[in-house]
Parts: sequence; structure tokens; C-alpha cells
Amino acid sequence: MSPDLFFLLASLLFSLGLVGVVSRRNLFVVYMSIELMLSSINLILATLSKLLGDGSGSVMALLLIAVIAAEAALFLAIIVHLYRENRTVDSDTFNDLSEVK
Amino acid sequence: MLVDNLELIIFSILAFFMLGGAIVMLLSKQTIFSAFGFLITMIGLAGMFALLESRFLAVAQIMVSVGAVVVLSMLTILTVNAQEKNLPKEQFKTLWILFSLGLVSPFTFLLYKVLLTLPNHFAEMETLTAKVTGELLFSKWVLPFETLSILLLSAMLGAIIIAKNRSKGEQS
Amino acid sequence: MLNLIVILPFFSALLLALIYLSNPKQKRYQLYTTIGVGTILTITLFSLFILLEVVQNGKTLHTTLFTWLSLGELQIELAFRADKLSVVMISFITFIGSLIHIYAAGYMKDDTGYGKFFSYFNLFMGSMLLLVLANNPIIMFIGWELVGVSSYLLIGFYHKESANITAANKAFILNRVGDFGFIMGIALLFISLEGSGFSFEDIEANIFSIDSEKLSLIGILLFVGAMGKSAQIPLYVWLPDAMAGPTPVSALIHAATMVTAGVYMVSRYSFLYEQIPDVGVFIAYIGAFSALFAAIIASYQSDIKKILAYSTMSQLGYMFIAVGLGAYSSGIFHVFTHAFFKALLFMGAGAVIVALHHEQNIFKMGTLKTKLKLIYITMFIATLAISGIPPFAGFFSKDAILVTAFASEHYTLWAMGSLTAGLTAFYMFRLIFTVFHAQAKKEHSLQSLPKSMTYPLVVLAFGSSVAGFLGVNSAYGGDMLINSFLSLPDRVHPISHTTEYILGSLNVLLALGGMGLAYKLFAKNPKEPQESTIYKKIVINKFYIDEIYTVLIIKPLLLLSHFIADVLEKRVFDALIDTTVWLYLGASKQFIKLQNAKVRYYALYILSGLSFISLYLIFKLGVIS
Repeated sequence: MSPDLFFLLASLLFSLGLVGVVSRRNLFVVYMSIELMLSSINLILATLSKLLGDGSGSVMALLLIAVIAAEAALFLAIIVHLYRENRTVDSDTFNDLSEVK
Repeated sequence: MLVDNLELIIFSILAFFMLGGAIVMLLSKQTIFSAFGFLITMIGLAGMFALLESRFLAVAQIMVSVGAVVVLSMLTILTVNAQEKNLPKEQFKTLWILFSLGLVSPFTFLLYKVLLTLPNHFAEMETLTAKVTGELLFSKWVLPFETLSILLLSAMLGAIIIAKNRSKGEQS
Repeated sequence: MLNLIVILPFFSALLLALIYLSNPKQKRYQLYTTIGVGTILTITLFSLFILLEVVQNGKTLHTTLFTWLSLGELQIELAFRADKLSVVMISFITFIGSLIHIYAAGYMKDDTGYGKFFSYFNLFMGSMLLLVLANNPIIMFIGWELVGVSSYLLIGFYHKESANITAANKAFILNRVGDFGFIMGIALLFISLEGSGFSFEDIEANIFSIDSEKLSLIGILLFVGAMGKSAQIPLYVWLPDAMAGPTPVSALIHAATMVTAGVYMVSRYSFLYEQIPDVGVFIAYIGAFSALFAAIIASYQSDIKKILAYSTMSQLGYMFIAVGLGAYSSGIFHVFTHAFFKALLFMGAGAVIVALHHEQNIFKMGTLKTKLKLIYITMFIATLAISGIPPFAGFFSKDAILVTAFASEHYTLWAMGSLTAGLTAFYMFRLIFTVFHAQAKKEHSLQSLPKSMTYPLVVLAFGSSVAGFLGVNSAYGGDMLINSFLSLPDRVHPISHTTEYILGSLNVLLALGGMGLAYKLFAKNPKEPQESTIYKKIVINKFYIDEIYTVLIIKPLLLLSHFIADVLEKRVFDALIDTTVWLYLGASKQFIKLQNAKVRYYALYILSGLSFISLYLIFKLGVIS
């Protein structure tokens, strides 16, 4: 079992997350894409932990899970807030700073 | 040999489900289906952690990411219960996805290739049980751990404030 | 002490300005007079000491205040030098300057800007002294410019009337034209010397390394500067208009400072002009034309100060004949004697003007002989001096110049000079007879004059009578004291004493002729010149030179300015800029679409950047090999 496959999987997941952030307008999907990117980093960290025979990578990933949780709390709060304001979860509607409407 | 093959098989199944979940999340029009795809990916990730012998991490992933974060997300989605008409139309969704896939591919390739420069075999190590992880967490990683607690606290406060702050339009 | 001579007037000018600005309304007559006149008296004493020192030792004094500029090979030191030439200059500048200051204390007594006036006056003196004592052309140029500035301030002193401001502007702008030539000359000189020092000694030592064509150009350019400052054709038109200033200013400009700067400058560069006698002849002809031209105009003027202004221009013409023909000592000698009688004439004229409640037309004066006896006597002496009647000062200096012109076989110059001498006597006596002898058209109630305005006249009258004896040439039994003292590189043209006697008596005869004509025409019943014939009309209107300048220079310039302002700027440059602006606006309207505040677009931009960087790393840098 080589670590290359894990790396390949992590790269693909990260890229899919990036594509989701760029191409989707639904705020929930954007949020989940970001989570996906973070999780793929988690996967890399865990892989590295095993690759180097050092538990620190896993511990870092553990801490990152906590960060994900914090992020989730904030992100969802913001989405709910935005939905209550505008009755939509379309990211394109939030363009108050733009010159062209 | 058998163990290796078994691992490979498990990995393949997990990877298939994870990628499938991610793609479902990316493509589906209904938000709740996206969330299901995401859920599958997260569970798959927990399995991957177990495969990498980070047992405590796998359990934490199940408990926190799946049990808390994803479920919370789904709960929120259901609570918001956005109507069909409130969802963005996204006429050119496929086009956008294909275009950004094209753009992202060199980066994926680069990322993968860079990671390949690392040694191509796993080191021998003991399984990272709760005990081992805990010892590491409270010796070497205690400062980030404590810092994280502050982050969580502030995130909680922030979430409360955002949720409480009703817009003027709604009050009137 | 040499440093103090230059620094003190500047310092007191600053001090007066500060005191004046602290409270312009308050009358502090005593204080201003003490500072303003006291400073000049002090430096007069100092310069007398220095004169004595130089006369005794015969050596040149040098002092360096500090190094002003040090740029590689260009070392400009704020250094002063008192050689024989500059010592003679400063001694009469400070002497006559202090008399004019005393006079001004009386003349300006009731003016509200008394303190301001003395501040400018001291600045003027300081600038002139800086010019004279400078040890290198750059510092000289600074003095030269400061003289221009302070003359501008003083000519426009009565700034409430726009005509005075116009006159001041005219003086300043015409001086600018001259200064342009001057600074070009200095720059060319500096380049030509190729960095072998820039003090006057160094220039003198290295002057032979410059070829004569370049040297001629330098000489002409420097002379353009002198034309502006010393009011020669064609840059003279500011001088008559400069009469707009208070009379003491006119006295100072015409007698001690400013206009003599040009003559001094040519003498200072005598080592240079020695190499290029052809340019010298050109200078002499300019001088001769200016002399004759001004004398003709002066004969038909009726404003007392304008007559004197044109007479100054005429006398300056003489000086340029002298320096142009290489008789630098004679030129400086005429500057010296001229300072006395011209200061006297202006101060006398000022006294008359004040006594008659600011009446300047000579044909409205008359019968002042008995009423203003002291002024009459002193002005008569000055007129005798300027007309060249022996033994007054003007005779010796003017005679020396005309003899030089004759002896160097420039008979045209000599003829023009002699003719001018006759005309000088005519217009000066015309002034005297009309003002003092002729029957007044109406009775005048005279204003009493303060003593400070009359006593300097007596001193100057004495000076006008005896100053000439410093330079009596050998034909009249003297030994040319001033020439041997100045030791400038004069060209000497030997000429027999008999010829000199003939020339001298011819001049005297011409002068007496002019005087007699003036007596006949103006002593009894003077008539103001009428524009009856074409000739008179032309002369009274000063040959229409101002009008010609207007048509030739000002009108085309104005037209060009209007063209540039209305057509070129609006249609071409503005249009060009507007087009650019329009293009930028259009481009920004396109670019603004990128900035549509939609998050996913921004994410897309980041992703494209990431993508391109990745491609670059992969293909160009070969990260993966």
C-alpha cells in the first residue's frame, strides 16, 4: 500500500472542492466545498503522519477538525442570517459593493 | 500480501465513495442531496483515517465532522428549507464546472507531483490510539490545543451574535 | 571689514523689513533713519578705510566668507575682492549712496512706507556692493540679479498706481532679456575654461586658452547683459519709465548703482575685451548711438525727470565709447564724475518737485532763481559739469573719452560724441533756464525743504567741481591720477598736446554754443515743444520706439499667446488629453465588469492565477522533471 494513492485522492478532493467554490452559486454548496478542501488537507496530514512514523501529523489533523467545527458554526450562522435578510442563498445576489448591478 | 491487497480493496471502495460523494455534492441541484454527498465523503474520510492507523482521528472524524458538522449543516438546510424558487437558477452550471475543472487541472497535477517527491513507502509505527494521541496532544501540542479552545470560544460567540442580530427590515 | 561692507546693508535691510512688518502703521521715523542711514554711513567709513589701505599697499584684498557650492570641479566661493577698480567703485558708491540716503530721509519723511523704503534702499546698496566686490562671475551675477530685484521693488514703490507697476515690470522684464545674455555669457565662459578655476584671477590667467571666435561670442553675450542694466540701445526703454519711482531712487539708480553696473562689468572683464577689439568697437558704436539718440530725445522732453533720465542714458553711451575703445580707466573715471553731478541733478530736481508740490513739467515752473537759491546754484554747477565746461568734473572725463575716440582714429565716434556734447549742453541749460530763469506762468506757493534735502546738494556740488582733478591728463598739466591708480589694461593712443587743446576747446565751444542757443530760446519766454513738424513729432514721441517695440515684439507675442491659449491648447492638447481620458474611461468601464462583487468571479480570478502559476512552474521552470 503506497502513500501515492492517498496523495492522489487528496489532490482530487482538494480540486473538486476548489471547483465547487468557483462554479456553484448555492451558498451551502460553497460552504461544503470549502469543508471538503480542508478535509483533503486533513487526509494529507494523516498520510504524512504514517509516512514519517510520527503521531504529530494526526494530532494536527485532530486540531484541524476542531477548526472545521468552528468554521462550520460561523459559516452556517452567516448563511442563515443572509437567508433571513434576502430570502435567497444565491451568492450572486450579495453584490452590494459592485458598481454595476 | 493478503493484508496489502485487503487494504487496497478497502481503499478503492472508500475512494470510490468519497469521490462519488464529492461529485454528487458538486452537481446536485437540491441542497440536501449535496449535503448527503458531503456526508458520504466525510464518512469515507473517517475510514481513510482508520486505514492510516490513526484510530483516534477516525473516531474524532466520525464524531465531530460527521456527527456534529455535517448533521448541523443538514439541520440548517432543512430549517432554512429554501423553496425551489429561492434556489439560484444556475443555468450555466455545467459550463462553469467544466471550465473551472480545466483551470484547476494543472494545479491538481502540480500538487500531486509535488507530493510524490516524498518517500514512496510508509514507515513502521504503532497504531495511533487515543492514548498515544492524547500524550502527544498534551505534551508537544498543548499550546495549539489551548489556542484552539480560544478559537472555538470566539467562534461560538461570533455565531451567537450573528444569529441574534436580526435585520431592521425583519423587526419592523 | 570687507565682508562687513557687503553683509551690513543686507542685514539692516532685513532688520528694517522685520521692524516694518511688525507694525506697518506705526511711525518710527527716528528708528528707521538711524538704522537705514547709519548703516550706510558706517560702510562708507569702512570703504574709506579699505580705499586708504589699497592706496597705501597697492595690493588686492581678498576675503572668503564660505564655499557656496562645491560640485566636482565647480567651486563657487562667496568671496570678495577689493582691487583698485572695485575700491574706487565702492568708495564713490557708498559715499554718494550715503548722501542720497540722507536726502531720502528728508524726501520720504511723510511717506507711510518709510521703513519699507529704507529696507529696499539698503537692499539695493547691498546688492550693488555684492556685485562690485564679487570675486567670481557667479557671485557677481547674484549681485546683478539682486540689483534687478531691488530696482523693481523701488520703481514700483508707489504701487497704488498701475502705471508705476507697469514701469517696474518693464524695467524688470527688459533687465531679464539682458540677464539672459549675461548668464549665457557666463555659462559659455565656464564651459570654455574647462574647469580651470572660476575666480577673476583664474579666468584672467586662462583666457588665452579660448579661441577668439568663442571669446567674441562671450564678449557680446556679456555686453547684452550690460545693455539691459546700463540702458543702451536697444534695451533702454525701461530707463525713462523707471522715473515712476521716488526721486531718491532715480538718483540712486542713475548715479551710484545699477546703470553703472554694465560699465563696471565691461571694465571688470577688461582682460577679456582686450582680446577682442572688434567687439569693443561694436560696443563703442552702440554707446555712441545711444548717446546721440538719447540727447536728441532729451532736447524735446518737458518732464524734468525724463530729461535727466535720457541724459543718463546719453552719458552712459559715453562710458561705453570709452570702454569699447579700450580706455577702461576713462570709462570708470566718467562713471565716477558722472555719479556726482547726476546725483546732484536728480536730488536738485527732486527738491524742486517737492517745493512745487509734485509738479514735474518744466514749462510750468519758472522764476525759481531767487526763491530756491541754493538749489539753483548747486544745479547750475552740476549742469556746467555735465556740459563739460572746465574746470568742472565733466570736462576732464568727457574730454578724455573724446580724445581717445579721436586718437584711435574712430572719427565717426568722435563726431557723434562731440555732437552729443553740444546737445547735452543745450538740453541741460534748457532745463536750467526754463526752471529757474524764465517767467513763471503763474505764482507758486513753495513748500519749505528740510535741511537733509539741501545739505547733500552742497557736498555734491563741491564734488562735481573738484572730482575732475583726479584725472587731469598730461596736456592740462595733470598726471592722470586715477588712470595710473586703476592700472587697467588701457590701450594708449599717443596724441600731441596741440591736438588735445584743439579738441578740448572745440568741445567747450560746442558746449557754449548749446548753452547760448538754450539761453536764446528758453531764458525769457520758453515754449513747450509742439508737434508742429514731422521731425518734431517723431522726436517728441521718442522716435516711436515704444510703439515699434509694441508692434514688433509685444503684438506678435500676444498673438502667439492667444493662438496657443485658444487654439493650440483647446483644440490640440486638450483634445488629445480628452481623448486619452475618454479611452481610459472606456477601458475602465470594461474592466469594471470584472469587478462585479460576485464572490465566485473573484474565486475564479484566483483560480486562474493559480492555474497559470502552476502551468508556469510545470513547463517553464520544470519543477516536475
